Amino acid sequence: MTERIEHIVKHIHFDSEEEVAKALDHAGQLQDLTYEEKNDLAAAFSIIFYHHDHAGITAMGKLAIRAEHLIAGFGCDVVPFLLGELINADSESAAYLGKAIALNPCPNVDALLQAWEENWDDDFAGINIIQTLSYFKDPDVVKAIPQILVACKSANFQVRAMGLYTIGKLALRLDPGVFSEELLLSMFDTVFTMLADSKPLVRKNAARSLGKMQKRGLLTDKQRLQVLAAFKAILGTDGQHNWDRAFIVRHEAEHFLPLFSSRPAMGDRYRQSFKILAKKELCEKTFHFVIEAPMIARKLKAGQFIIVRPHDHSERIPLSLCGWDVDRGTIEIIVNTVGKTSAEINALQVGDRFIDIVGPLGQRSHVQAYPDTCVVIGGGYGTGAIIPTAKDLKALGNKVIGIVGARSKDLLLMTQELAAVCDEVMITTNDGSAGIEGFVTDALQQVVLREDVSYVLAVGPVPMMQAVSKLTEPLAITTYVSLNAIMVDGTGMCGACRVSVGGKTRFACFHGPDFNGHEVDFEQLMKRQKMFVKEEREALYSVEA
Amino acid sequence: MSKEIKRPLSNKERINLPHQIMPLRQAWERVNNFAEVPLGYSDEQAVAEAQRCLQCRKPHCVEACPVGIDIPGFIKLIEQGDPAAAASKIRETNFLPAACGRVCPQDKQCQAVCVVGRKNLPVGIGSLERYAADYEREHHTLTPPAIAPSTGKRVAIIGSGPAGLSAAYELRVKGHEVVVFEAFHRAGGVMVYGIPRFRLPLEIIDEDIAYLESLGVQFVYNMVIGNILTLDDLLEQEGFDAVFIGTGAGLPNMLTIPGTNANGVYSANEYLTRINLMEADKFPEYSTPLFQGKKVAVIGAGNTAMDVLRTAKRLGSEVTCYYRRSENEAPARSEELEHAKEEFINWRWLSNPVEFIVDENNFVKQIKCEKMVLSEPDESGRRSPQPTGEFFVEDCDTVVMSLGCSVNPIIPSTDKEVRINKWGVIMVDVETCQTSKKGVFAGGDAITGGSTVILAMGQAKTAAAAIDKYLRGELREDPRVPTDPNFYVKDWQLNNGHAKNGKQKKVTA
Ligand SMILES: Cc1cc2nc3c(=O)[nH]c(=O)nc-3n(C[C@H](O)[C@H](O)[C@H](O)COP(=O)(O)OP(=O)(O)OC[C@H]3O[C@@H](n4cnc5c(N)ncnc54)[C@H](O)[C@@H]3O)c2cc1C
Ligand SMILES: Cc1cc2nc3c(=O)[nH]c(=O)nc-3n(C[C@H](O)[C@H](O)[C@H](O)COP(=O)(O)OP(=O)(O)OC[C@H]3O[C@@H](n4cnc5c(N)ncnc54)[C@H](O)[C@@H]3O)c2cc1C
Ligand code: SF4
Ligand code: FES
Repeated sequence: MTERIEHIVKHIHFDSEEEVAKALDHAGQLQDLTYEEKNDLAAAFSIIFYHHDHAGITAMGKLAIRAEHLIAGFGCDVVPFLLGELINADSESAAYLGKAIALNPCPNVDALLQAWEENWDDDFAGINIIQTLSYFKDPDVVKAIPQILVACKSANFQVRAMGLYTIGKLALRLDPGVFSEELLLSMFDTVFTMLADSKPLVRKNAARSLGKMQKRGLLTDKQRLQVLAAFKAILGTDGQHNWDRAFIVRHEAEHFLPLFSSRPAMGDRYRQSFKILAKKELCEKTFHFVIEAPMIARKLKAGQFIIVRPHDHSERIPLSLCGWDVDRGTIEIIVNTVGKTSAEINALQVGDRFIDIVGPLGQRSHVQAYPDTCVVIGGGYGTGAIIPTAKDLKALGNKVIGIVGARSKDLLLMTQELAAVCDEVMITTNDGSAGIEGFVTDALQQVVLREDVSYVLAVGPVPMMQAVSKLTEPLAITTYVSLNAIMVDGTGMCGACRVSVGGKTRFACFHGPDFNGHEVDFEQLMKRQKMFVKEEREALYSVEA
Repeated sequence: MSKEIKRPLSNKERINLPHQIMPLRQAWERVNNFAEVPLGYSDEQAVAEAQRCLQCRKPHCVEACPVGIDIPGFIKLIEQGDPAAAASKIRETNFLPAACGRVCPQDKQCQAVCVVGRKNLPVGIGSLERYAADYEREHHTLTPPAIAPSTGKRVAIIGSGPAGLSAAYELRVKGHEVVVFEAFHRAGGVMVYGIPRFRLPLEIIDEDIAYLESLGVQFVYNMVIGNILTLDDLLEQEGFDAVFIGTGAGLPNMLTIPGTNANGVYSANEYLTRINLMEADKFPEYSTPLFQGKKVAVIGAGNTAMDVLRTAKRLGSEVTCYYRRSENEAPARSEELEHAKEEFINWRWLSNPVEFIVDENNFVKQIKCEKMVLSEPDESGRRSPQPTGEFFVEDCDTVVMSLGCSVNPIIPSTDKEVRINKWGVIMVDVETCQTSKKGVFAGGDAITGGSTVILAMGQAKTAAAAIDKYLRGELREDPRVPTDPNFYVKDWQLNNGHAKNGKQKKVTA
């Protein structure tokens, strides 16, 4: 033993952690160690591993771990020594020795396998070696797996248990790419068979290994189902009530069960059926639909709209909502036949599906607690469209008056539904067949004369919205109109929906659909809506023909 | 077909070989339909063109390719008569070879620096890429990559343009669960709703989508992220571990001159979307209408403008291009400009529109332009158009504005943690494409304000690599996302993920 080594070794006393720490510090600083010196140090420090009195004394335990790293750092020179020790070590020291081998940068899987071969009949040596393999990070360790699988069938149950434990560890630690398909198959077959072992410890380790393999995504779908069934049997939840008697096995199965339960593909959660659940005729050429669209229902806010396509060749057309139900996952629309696509929608029946519905689109209505009365005005489908806003306004404690206009009594729609969310509903018909004879503006005039109004929302034909805005402008009443510009995408991508508001170009689908009625260029909007009149007529003839 | 090459050609011989010209459909024929214009190389032509490559040891072309395709490598395989292997080689780095071979601006990238180009015409790299990709598609030689075992991690991809598709591919191959959310009812982004069929047939994109689906990528349509699900919803409630934003730059810029909102005035996005996505050219069999006049005025001279010009021509109109600079400054890919020029289109260079004159029903009837002259070059060598005070008026009944796009505001407006610059472009750490929001990455036009298919793919690959690291807990915590709202990356000519601050012109935002 050289002098410098002797000097260090002298310090290794087990009654003083400080001395040992000093010795480790010292040894760590030595340069250019010879083969002999490395082995002398390894032998001296490995004594700490055997010094079982330190069990529970964390300071000495930590020193043992430091010694483990130090020895590992000596590389290939000390591997034969460590292997010799490992073969005969008790289980606790074997853990330290094993880590010193596994952490050793020397490629030593082969040496370990050879040592195993030579001591094949010694089960305790085998257990120590398998345990050591479980500590490896070097992907080279995969080549030991076939041998470990053989050990999993040993007559000694402790060897079997250690083998299974190690398979699980390696499955979890190594990169999934290092396992060949063939190897994975034999790993699964062996481990799965051991679920039926006679010893609880073996069954437990088998269950645990399967859990780890699944966690790393190493099992096929078929294997997953096999394990799922086996775990259910262990837990007695397969209908047989013949659960595993050993708690440790049941505990393991229960812990990993969720990993094996089928997980629906993520994307499927978002597929909505767009199925028509109910359809009702409200008046001539106008229908009310209830459609299954749970994701949209969950996010809708008053004032937002959707874009639909009934069929594959259809145009995308924007529609307002007259209601939705988050719990039932449904949305409600009103469609008035004006052209080809609205006619196609109104021809759909209960049970049919829309091919596409996208939404919610646009911004929420300007809903807040206003100082004075709020008036919501609807014409045609607009009567439905104002209901969600009226409801929100009411919920915030506002006084809400609804005004509905139609040409005559039989064209009125949704008045009861509106009444349910308003303090008062006023009806106007052009021919006087119901309510006030005249236009919605006549009713609005009555309201503004008798009380203070802070908010007006109008949804319906453009001339109606324009007339309402004209009436409220001199009175400086905040007035919003929902602009039904022609749209394509509804997300701001095309600019088809541009409207002039306050002299600026705005996109109705993104900035709107509600805009300040006093700033909207209604003339331009009306003309833009007639952009495709000729083509639309042609389209309609093509359906009728 | 494999030709035995008896004696290796010397470099000098290779350089002097003639460039193989890809046959084109005749102009008079093509303006009557939407069939693809270039017809592709024959096997013999492809081998002959491949022989022109010198197999440079330090190939400039690879450096000039935003995704770093092994160009000499795949060309050699074509020369050896194995286009299937060439296609696999390209696929190692580029997930959309058929599309890129057709639409990449090779004249500004790989072919611009090809060594052969110093003495002769450069090697037809794009045409060869297209040839290999077409061979693979027609002969079904594509072998899907090995997919790593499931990692149990989930990634949400927003948008299915080239950026979203390549991010989806890269991440799926690494074993992550990938869900693509698309606002439209169809995947492909600009490649389906913008670039017309005669440049990029739809089947090509559809096959790429089907291929991704076969690898286990899940597509969900009709999902406008920001509205139906916010970024926080995806990360916190839906169980996604990371998000990639590839939403493109779909907010068309419009002129603010009188008549901009007249009937018959479209953005290029609307015009092309109506035709390409909604198939308005087949109206009324498909219900989406298109008001297509007899005289179409197209404003702008970029790639998009070329597409509009040529599309309008195919719909039977007389078509005129108005551009305020001269032909030399036209930003379009040179091949597109060439093809457009063959297709009987009228050109009004140095003409700046100042008004669209409308009739009593708000339909456009004339365009009024001011004549421009180019100034002397400034320090940067750029000549800017100057007004002359001289005007002219021409008849037209349709106007299509093709002035570029800004970034769509839906996502930034619904998530304040995603930082944008003052042009609305999403700001990212240029090395990892991370945004200022944890777990959220972005690429493509959404972070450039508009560029090219290949650059979008390059950024998506960078982002995908970073996302993979992030999911494994190996990405450094502090992304360097700029905070200055005036910041833009000058030059996204990145190669293998690194933006170089070069001299390229400013990102138009
Ligand atoms: C935000 C918004 C919400 C809407 N909500 C509803 C609703 O809840 N219920 C409903 O029935 N309709 C609603 N509309 C209007 C609906 O989108 C149009 O009626 C539909 O696009 C017509 O399509 P079509 O193919 O049936 O008719 P087309 O053949 O396209 O057109 C037939 C006639 O309708 C006119 N028209 C076309 N588009 C519009 C439009 N966007 N607005 C008004 N008139 C138009 C045309 O001038 C033409 O004369 C809404 C529009 C918007 C923008
Ligand atoms: C007409 C035209 C011609 C062009 N020609 C060429 C060419 O020849 N060569 C070339 O290299 N480049 C060309 N470009 C540019 C090129 O197409 C783009 O740079 C490229 O497509 C950008 O890809 P991306 O994935 O970032 O975005 P995009 O292709 O724009 O895709 C974005 C996708 O995201 C979706 N989306 C947007 N917002 C949301 C949301 N909130 N939720 C869900 N989904 C959303 C969109 O619907 C779209 O499908 C052209 C562009 C145009 C418009
Ligand atoms: S630069 Fe030109 S010649 Fe050189 S490898 Fe690339 S394609 Fe071939
Ligand atoms: S509908 Fe396309 S931008 Fe509004």
